[in-house]
Amino acid sequence: MSHNWLDKNTFHYSDFKDLSQLVEEKQKKGLRISLCLPTLNEEKTIAKEIIILKSELMTRYPLLDEIVVIDSGSTDHTVNIAKSFGADVYDADKILPHLEKYKGKGENLWKALYITKGDIIVYIDADIKNIHHRFAYGLIGPLLLYDNIKYVKAFYDRPISIGKNKIRPTGGGRVTELVIRPLFSLFFPELTQIIQPLSGEYAGYREVLEKIPFPIGYGVETSIILDIYEKWGLDVIAQVDLDRRIHRNQDTKALGRMSFAILKTFINRQKQLGLIDTKNNLYDEIIQYNLVESRYQPEALKIVGFERPPMIEIPEYCEKFCIKN
Amino acid sequence: MHILLYIKRFSSPLPLNNRFFLQQVATVLPIRIQGSVMEKFLENMPALVDDIRAIKDIIITNIVLIGQTPAPTFKEKRRGIVFMERMAEFGVDEVTTDGYRNPIGIIRGTSSKKPPIFIVAHLDTFFEKDIVHNYTIKENTITGPGILDNSLGVGVLLSLPIIFEKLGLTFESDIILAGVIQSIGKGNLRGVRHLLKTWPTPIRGSICIEGVELGRLNYFSDGMIRGEISCSISEDKGVLYKYTPNAILILNEVINGLMRLSLPQRPRCRVVIGKISGGANHGKIAYDATLGFEIRSDSYKMVKSIYNDIKDIVDGISNENEVGLNIKTISNLKAARLKFNHPLVKSAAAVLNSLGIKPISKSTESALSLFLSRKIPAVTLGITHGENYYTQKATMEIEPMFKGIAQIIGVLKAIDSGVCDEP
Repeated sequence: MSHNWLDKNTFHYSDFKDLSQLVEEKQKKGLRISLCLPTLNEEKTIAKEIIILKSELMTRYPLLDEIVVIDSGSTDHTVNIAKSFGADVYDADKILPHLEKYKGKGENLWKALYITKGDIIVYIDADIKNIHHRFAYGLIGPLLLYDNIKYVKAFYDRPISIGKNKIRPTGGGRVTELVIRPLFSLFFPELTQIIQPLSGEYAGYREVLEKIPFPIGYGVETSIILDIYEKWGLDVIAQVDLDRRIHRNQDTKALGRMSFAILKTFINRQKQLGLIDTKNNLYDEIIQYNLVESRYQPEALKIVGFERPPMIEIPEYCEKFCIKN
Repeated sequence: MHILLYIKRFSSPLPLNNRFFLQQVATVLPIRIQGSVMEKFLENMPALVDDIRAIKDIIITNIVLIGQTPAPTFKEKRRGIVFMERMAEFGVDEVTTDGYRNPIGIIRGTSSKKPPIFIVAHLDTFFEKDIVHNYTIKENTITGPGILDNSLGVGVLLSLPIIFEKLGLTFESDIILAGVIQSIGKGNLRGVRHLLKTWPTPIRGSICIEGVELGRLNYFSDGMIRGEISCSISEDKGVLYKYTPNAILILNEVINGLMRLSLPQRPRCRVVIGKISGGANHGKIAYDATLGFEIRSDSYKMVKSIYNDIKDIVDGISNENEVGLNIKTISNLKAARLKFNHPLVKSAAAVLNSLGIKPISKSTESALSLFLSRKIPAVTLGITHGENYYTQKATMEIEPMFKGIAQIIGVLKAIDSGVCDEP
């Protein structure tokens, strides 16, 4: 397997720190750029993300044209805080309200395509503790400066925030190393060059994102990569080292549920491509066990793995963006 | 373990509190200042607050980006780099470091004849690098380690160039924006000492910025010595003692000695035992213990005299118990002050009053004293209100900060209009 892609399409955020150049390129190409922050109870981090990104990439350098928060029904102060710091905040359930309602990050990202106006859409998780504007401009840079690149993924050095306000300097990416990379190695060795396929930060051209389906839950990151790879090839994808991202540590059970959703998405994709045949349909429940008073008790959680169709197939979207199919 | 004790010998039945150290400047100062330019500027102060609020995103971003870069004393390099990078991005005329690596931004003034005005904020904080320095912003607060002392001050200092630019403010003097290193604790104000010692020109005046509290108007500083008494007992020698001494109990004897010190009412003075640590675990005799103290007085001669008394106590206990007991000075400052009717103090009080802020003054042991001891008129101002000052949950209020920044600009304008120029 060639590692050309890794050498050619891997960048460091500092390659794009000349923000004036990015703004100039954006204006020259007549592009608009939207930032989407999907939220669910992110009151501790949302204000900081909005303020820093707005200050640096809207007020000082007009790189972003809008900051949009798509909320999944937060019960804390996320919505009010986001509004008070100037973001456009939307309740995911009220976007395309006639459609059946689902909860999940992928659902919010998909609906952001309908709400936002940009030619480029940047998705950034709303729980980043050490947010810096490099998280956005690092992703935007390759899209503006390299005509062949249509989709950019982030990767990081990932310290995990542990108890007592201390940082453990290494770790993270367990699902990537234990689930995704083995799967990619088995089926698409080329894709193993993507260092962190599950990173929650990515950006892409609308013309690409509107043409692929979006799983509503955890599987969205894997699915986007597989679909773009299948439709346009690996060369339209790039990855950018964003240095360091501090995130919440998740327990093993939560990672198990995440892995279940990702595996399901992956296997369904393989079935659609005719690469595997499972004979029977997959089950919808992950079953995990808890030790309660010396006895193991099962705990089943239904993860349906529903997918939204490509946004370009939604009539309201085509009408809004004057697209004739 | 931290113990705070106040040792006093005051005959007054009143507790040792702000009665002795607080003067409400507003009640003793004629706050109206002369000069039509400054009067007009004061009239516009409330509008200035609104103008500053309009660029709050950039100001808060600076506070967060600086504050999230750890800068324990002696390890401020990374924060210094962030400071200079941001200054350069804001188009400051010169961004550099002095010979001691204090990061400095220089905004050139319109007159080459006027000496420069300094605005300083100390770069270092109490928190080590391995503490998570991630700040949380809510609707009207920002929380995180070191924010009040003094990441807020540095963030505001960093924001001044862009505030000046957005508000169209220019000055006759060069404005020197210095984030000084090695200030707190054992740093002993080394950064600002070096900066002032090596600065090649006269200095017109200075403003020292601290995060809290809005309303503070410091224009004098007490003489001060901070010291450390450490007791160390060799484990090897334990067999030679009939009863092995306990380092903590030895320090307890020192404390008892300090409690018996006679301190005069005038010049006013006090000794604070602010820090104590020692021992290994609950069931083992402590072989090491350390006690931190501070002597403060408006007479430096008195400070030195008390220090010598403490040294005698330490030497005596050391001899009697045959243990290693040492006293050393961590930092010291000479007493210095502006008169309460100095034009800078009066102008600063007028600025604060124009914003509806009641000025409160007390002694401060900080960079201010170094400016004053060099006969450079200077004041220290606080930016906003806060709580949990020295904890990881230190929290600042956002809204009062805009007045806090406006007062800095008002006082800067006053210095630039000449209130410090008379000998």
